[in-house]
Amino acid sequence: MDLIDLNAMPETEARFPAFIDDLCDKLELDYASYVAMPPLSGDVRYYANYSDDWADHYAQNNLHCVDPVIHKSVNSIAPVDWQRFDRDQNFNLVFNPGREFGIPNVGISVPIRGPYGEVGLLSVSRNCEKSVWSKLKRKIMGDLQVAAVHMHDNVMQSGILPNVLSRPALSSREKEILQWAAAGKSQQDIGDILCISHRTVEVHLRSGRSKLNALTTAQAVGRAISHGLIYPG
Amino acid sequence: MILVIDALNEAKFSKILDEVYKLRARVFSGRLGWEVAVEDGREIDQYDKLNPAHIVCLDDDGEVVGCMRLLQTTGPHMLADIFFELLDGEAPLRSAQIWEATRFCIDTDKLKGRENRNSISHYTSELMLGCFEYAQSSGILDIVAVIDPVMNRVMKRSGNAPYDYIGSTKPMGVVSAMTALMDCTDERIQSIRNFAGITHDIFADEDKALALFNKGAKAKAIANDIALEPKHAPLAPAAQKSDLQQYCFEQLSKANSEKEIAAALDLLKLLSEKIGTDDVSELQRITRDLPQRTFTATSLTEMEELRPI
Repeated sequence: MDLIDLNAMPETEARFPAFIDDLCDKLELDYASYVAMPPLSGDVRYYANYSDDWADHYAQNNLHCVDPVIHKSVNSIAPVDWQRFDRDQNFNLVFNPGREFGIPNVGISVPIRGPYGEVGLLSVSRNCEKSVWSKLKRKIMGDLQVAAVHMHDNVMQSGILPNVLSRPALSSREKEILQWAAAGKSQQDIGDILCISHRTVEVHLRSGRSKLNALTTAQAVGRAISHGLIYPG
Repeated sequence: MILVIDALNEAKFSKILDEVYKLRARVFSGRLGWEVAVEDGREIDQYDKLNPAHIVCLDDDGEVVGCMRLLQTTGPHMLADIFFELLDGEAPLRSAQIWEATRFCIDTDKLKGRENRNSISHYTSELMLGCFEYAQSSGILDIVAVIDPVMNRVMKRSGNAPYDYIGSTKPMGVVSAMTALMDCTDERIQSIRNFAGITHDIFADEDKALALFNKGAKAKAIANDIALEPKHAPLAPAAQKSDLQQYCFEQLSKANSEKEIAAALDLLKLLSEKIGTDDVSELQRITRDLPQRTFTATSLTEMEELRPI
């Protein structure tokens, strides 16, 4: 998947809605929303591409106070399919009017936990048959996880958390592998050079990318160099 | 069968989760000798309060026979905060697609002697499978897990060898602990299934699992009641013995001078056979309140000798 790289965009609020739109476009989804709940500041951030009508209705009726999508999903470690919610009063309060506004009732929410105890939630949905949905879900699950953490980390670093906390803590192995990547070596080559399996190389690269807030290894190499963690290849 | 208990359904499965905490206490504090906090026979730590996912393995009677705990590596997790010494001072992995598995355990006492699809080996495979299939369906690619060398060997022999390790093996309690990497690929899942001969869907229907568990728990409670019924009239309590013990302890705690302490200790020693005390901790508690200067090596040695043989 080739998502917009939030880190490479001008640091304006506008990049977040753009990311949401791009995500829907690339992953064949109708709607997406992201909400961040930092532990101390109480400074909730919310981005979504729902219609203005629905957004108004949602806000006027304070649905964010009862929405199971938010309150239940955020406590899970795994993505939560909306089919898991009890069809209780709160569910009906949100989803009954939602239907009139064209809001799908099939969707999934991906909870994100950050290192400082803060939580975020990326929710996506689409109007389609349940069978189509379960197929799509399987296909995009991994990408959704990556997108959720990418969005979350960038929102968190856009002023909610002090920047001093954001210097990436890379392990020696992660740095070593990025250094070889900077020298133009493939994953297979790096595995051979370091006498480790290429799966291990991949695990460290994935972790390194996450810590450097990068979607691709090339971006991670660039950022590791700019942080002074590795030398230019 | 496998049940996944998380924040969304833990109210429904609170009794099963309670059994999980008890099993963990027996295994990690008891058998493995890890320094974990056990309260009221249950091992619960701060990571259980972070709403992890518990993969729980139930036998055909609905009894808990194994469990493990999953957390995201993007947020607080054990390798980052507790087991960091296993990483030799290196930063832990962090990825949206890597989960951490900890507190892996199987009730080997309960399963001892059981065979085939009720064996330790079978449930170990099923529990592992539960972890990998649940993680895979959540878009997770790899699991990083803290395990002991026994578990490591078991996994290698059951089509489920870790593909690599991070950091080094370090002593922890009476055994060692190590950090293993496992992928959540179809190949690994199939390999475990082939080894254990599991072809069916291992995930339990939530309501059926709960009904089975409740039925088993009820039967067990009845069996307990029967067992607890006294077969003979209870023996009269050994009042005299405990009174004597009480008296000695009082003398010791009231003692004001070295002489009196020595006298009290002498009395204790003299009567120790009759008292038959195994209350070494009680003795230590009393002597802790005594003036410091009386804490001579001799008096301590004498107390040591009071320990029942």
